[in-house]
Order: sequence, then structure tokens, then C-alpha cells
Amino acid sequence: MSAPLIRFDNVWKTYGHGEAEVNALAGVNLTISQGEFVAIMGPSGSGKSTAMNIIGCLDTPSSGRYDFLGADAGALDRGRRALLRNLYIGFVFQGYNLLPRTTALENVELPLVYRGIPARQRHDMGMAALDKVGLIGRETHTPAELSGGQQQRVAIARAIVTNPTLLVADEPTGNLDTARTHEIMELLTDLNIEQGLTIALVTHEVEVAAFAARNIFFRDGNIESDVMLGARHAA
Amino acid sequence: MLLETIRLALRSVRRNALRSILTLLGIVIGVAAVIAMLTIGAGTTAKVKADIAKLGSNLLIVRPGAPAGPGQQQINSRSFTDKDLAALAREIPDAKAISAGAQKSVKVVYGTESLTAQITGTDTGYFRARDLGVTLGREFSDSEVRGGAGVCLIGETVRKQFFGSGDPLSTSIRIGRMNCSVIGLLETKGFSQFGQDQDNVVLMPLAGFQRRVAGNNDIETIYVAAKEGESTADMQVLVEDILRDTRRIAPGREDDFSVRDLTQIASAMASTTAAMTGMLGAVAAISLLVGGIGIMNIMLVSVTERTRKIGIRLAIGAQEHDILTQFLVEATVLSLIGGLLGIALGLGLALLASNTMSIPFDPSPLVIAFAVAFSALIGTVFGFFPALRGARLDPIDALRHE
Repeated sequence: MSAPLIRFDNVWKTYGHGEAEVNALAGVNLTISQGEFVAIMGPSGSGKSTAMNIIGCLDTPSSGRYDFLGADAGALDRGRRALLRNLYIGFVFQGYNLLPRTTALENVELPLVYRGIPARQRHDMGMAALDKVGLIGRETHTPAELSGGQQQRVAIARAIVTNPTLLVADEPTGNLDTARTHEIMELLTDLNIEQGLTIALVTHEVEVAAFAARNIFFRDGNIESDVMLGARHAA
Repeated sequence: MLLETIRLALRSVRRNALRSILTLLGIVIGVAAVIAMLTIGAGTTAKVKADIAKLGSNLLIVRPGAPAGPGQQQINSRSFTDKDLAALAREIPDAKAISAGAQKSVKVVYGTESLTAQITGTDTGYFRARDLGVTLGREFSDSEVRGGAGVCLIGETVRKQFFGSGDPLSTSIRIGRMNCSVIGLLETKGFSQFGQDQDNVVLMPLAGFQRRVAGNNDIETIYVAAKEGESTADMQVLVEDILRDTRRIAPGREDDFSVRDLTQIASAMASTTAAMTGMLGAVAAISLLVGGIGIMNIMLVSVTERTRKIGIRLAIGAQEHDILTQFLVEATVLSLIGGLLGIALGLGLALLASNTMSIPFDPSPLVIAFAVAFSALIGTVFGFFPALRGARLDPIDALRHE
């Protein structure tokens, strides 16, 4: 067992002031180790999205401590968190969030641009990532010329092109039919097993969560249950 | 990295082609106006200066009649005499030239051709006083001036009318009741500031002009030229003193002649032109400011429109300065394109104006370089606030933006 990648220590997240004060997270304690595949579930307003934003270093706790790779990520400023995201975290969103009128390859290369990697090397790394998601031959297509499943594969390629430590996926199959959902989940499972990529995934579908080795349920700003599913694959 | 950003900016400009063009228009018009104004203004000033040179340098023109104020008719009074001229020559020995002249518009005939030209009766000093060159033939000799010989020099317009591009020397033309042998062709002077053809002229010895053309003994004009570097103002005081004396004007009474310093008048005109140019340029510069506000407006729209894309970029690790640079470069590229188009348009307008107004077309590289730099600066300055707004977006909110 490696050192914990993610550690929440009594994390609170509060929105609004006075009467309108809402605790999106109310003293959450959570540890996720490297190589885990975790599905986070819960009704809307349960705090799962807030937790994901903090895990992805997009947001910081109001109080408590969030450690990412042993560092106090909650105390970092905007620029350092952006650097952290660029170096260690890949994002996949429900709405794909690809840049329109931009080719698949250029979309995949985007995080590398912000790393200042030269064009030739970017091209090679981008093509390798597209190869991993099975989209070789589509690199010059724009998102509008790709199906939903293909667009999400491009988004996954963009997330893994930097060889991140953590992949954060927010309802990645929310817009897809059952067959496409299975394809995407198989792909994520492969990345988890073969590359040892840690995945934190938000979903409200039990079948999707079943692909993960660990299911965490949020309710009213805290963890209601934290279940290790049978040893589907060793963490 | 910067090249990449510029490429990205160009793509964005191209994608919103119509919007970009409309935004650019403000900068294009502003820069074009400034460039056209300054170039036309510089040409006009250059022309005024050239006109000054044609008048003869350091020249005083003395005419009978009291000095006329603006809008006042100059009252004619007795003309000058040989005595006045002799006194001036004696009292101002270090003048570059002193010359007497009289003028009349008279019909000139050669064979079956005729035209009305400005005939000037004068002496040898006239050439020095007016900086007048002779391109063909020779000036008068002193004996020809003394005897009022039937010789003349003609201007280019007269030569063209009578001889085309042929040799006019040693032919005889008729001026009024007098036959003159052409001994020289005057250097071309072009049109004066007031639209007068300065080449439609004939010069002849004063005595002959008085006897056979004017029919009187009047000296209408005295030209006094100062040596290079000497003050015409001092000379003017001296000339006034001498003439008051010879013309016996009692102290306290007004001069019955006027001394005009053409160089001073012309330099006043030149500085007026330059001031006008500066003012028009400043007005044009205001339209540049308006153009800059247009850029700011469109960049704000652009940032709002691309909020989600900014969110994506921020989420995957773009730094604030990456986003800031992207929009700043885009605004700068946009206004720089506008600036370049504006320079082309402005120079085109100035060229057109210089052709129709016959002023020199001499665009200043400094002004052009300044226009390029200034239009880029406008993009950067007016693009900064919108770009900062984009860069400061919260990635979570930006990603949720529809």
C-alpha cells in the first residue's frame, strides 16, 4: 500500500453568510490511496461535487486540511493549484468540454501547451494518448465531426496525455447510451489496472459505480457509507 | 509559445471575420485619418517652404501707397523715382541687390500666336533680388538696361505658347508697340501660393518698358535683397528711413509707401499650416481613442462568450498569465491589423490629395512607425481590462457557464 494520494482531514466547505449559510461539506474525513478506482455517489446537494472540486484542486476547503500527494493543497494559491492540476491531475467532464472547431489532436495537446512542451514532442505525446483511447485516424476531426462516445474518448486522451497521477471524472457517461457507457467505463478500468491511474469518478448510476472498486456515498455534506466492492480487481 | 498564441489569435480573428472587420474599422479610420492628415500637412508645409524659396530669400518689396491693413484697399500714391533708388543704393551698400521694377499685363504676339503675359520692366539687380535663374541665353547687360534696348527674357509658359519646346533665342516677339529680341529663357517657378502662373512672364529693361509699354516713367516696385544671414527686419527700418527722407515725409506723418517682408509673411503661413496640421492630427487621434474603446467592447463580449473555454483551459492547468496573454495578444493583433490597414488607407488618401492639390507626397517613416506602435499599444491597453477579467475567472463557475 502506497502513501495516501488524497487525505481530507475534517474538511468543511461553507457557502453564503449568516442565515443563508450552507455547509456543502461538514467535517469530511477521507483517504484515497494511489491506484484506487473510487466512485462517488449521492443525491444532488449532498456535497459530492464540492468534494470533487476540492479533490481536483479547483476549490479549497473553508476549514480543515486537504492534502494532495502529502502537500497541503488547500493552502496553495490559484497559480500553484493550476500548476498542480497541470502536472498531476486529468479532468473528464460530463459535457466533454472540448474546444469547438479545434481538432481532436489539438484538444489533446492543450495541457502540454501550458507545460511549454515543444510542438513536435506535443504531437507525439498527443498521438500516443489518442492511440490509448483507440482514436487513431480521427486526430484531425473536430468535436462536431465526432460522436458523443468519441468526444469523451478525446476528453479522456486530453486528461491522460500528461501522465497524471489522478483522473477526476465528473459524470463522464451522463450524456451517453448504455453501449457507449460500457465502452467508456471499460476504457477507464483498463487505464486504472494497466497504468495504475488513480480515478475518482462522480456518478449517480449504480451500474457505472459498479465498475469502481470502492463506492462512497455522500449525504448532507458528509460520507454516509464507504464500501469496498468485492475484489473485482486488486487495489 | 508567443508564436503559438499569435497563431491562435489570428485564428480567432479569422473565425469572427465580420465582427473583427467591424471592430477594426474604428482603428482603420483613426489611423488613416492621422496618417493622411500628417502626410498632407507635411506636404503642404513643404510646398509653402518651397514657395518661400521661389520668392527669393531675404527680400523686401517696396511699393508706393500707405501700408494697408487687413481688408483695406492699398491707396496708390506717387511712384518712386530714380532719386529714391539712387539714395537706397548709396545708403545700403552692403545689400545683396537693389532693383527697380514696373509691371503691366500686356498682350504678347509672335507670328499668328498671342497671349497676355505679365511684363516686368527692370534692371540687372532683379535677377539677384528674386533669385531668378536663366536656363537658356543670358541676362540683360548694363548698357542694354541703360539704353532701354529692345531685348527680353521670357518665362516657360510664354516659350511653350510660341515655340513649343523649340529654341526661342534670337527670335523677335512684339510686346505692345515694341519689338523685342529674345535673349534668354527664365528658370521655371511654377504656380505661386495664390495660384498665379509665375512662368507666364516677360522681363525687359525698365527704360524700354516705361517708354514703349507703360507710357510713363513710374517705378512701381523696388526690391531690396539682404545678404544671406542678414536681418531683413533691420534692413526694413533702414529702407523706411531713407525713403521717408528722399520722399520728404514730415515726422509724425504716415509713410506713403509700404515695405513688405515676403519671407516673414510666408514663414507665418508655413507655421500656420503646421499648426493646422497638428490640430487636425489631434482631432484624428481622438477617433483612434474611439476605435480603442470599440476593441475593448468586443474583447469583453469575446471573453464572456468564451467563458466556458476559459474554464476548460484553467481546469487543465492554464495559469492566469496564459489566459491574460491570449486575450492581450488577440486584442493587439486585432488593432495592429487595423493599424496596418489604416496606414495603407491613409497613405492612399494622402497620395490622392497630393496629386489633386499638387503638393509633394513625402510620407514620414517616423509617423508610420509611430502609427504602428500606437495602434498596437491601443490594443494592449484597451484589451487589458477584458483580458484580466477572463484570466481572473473562477474555473468552477466558468465551467458551469452555458
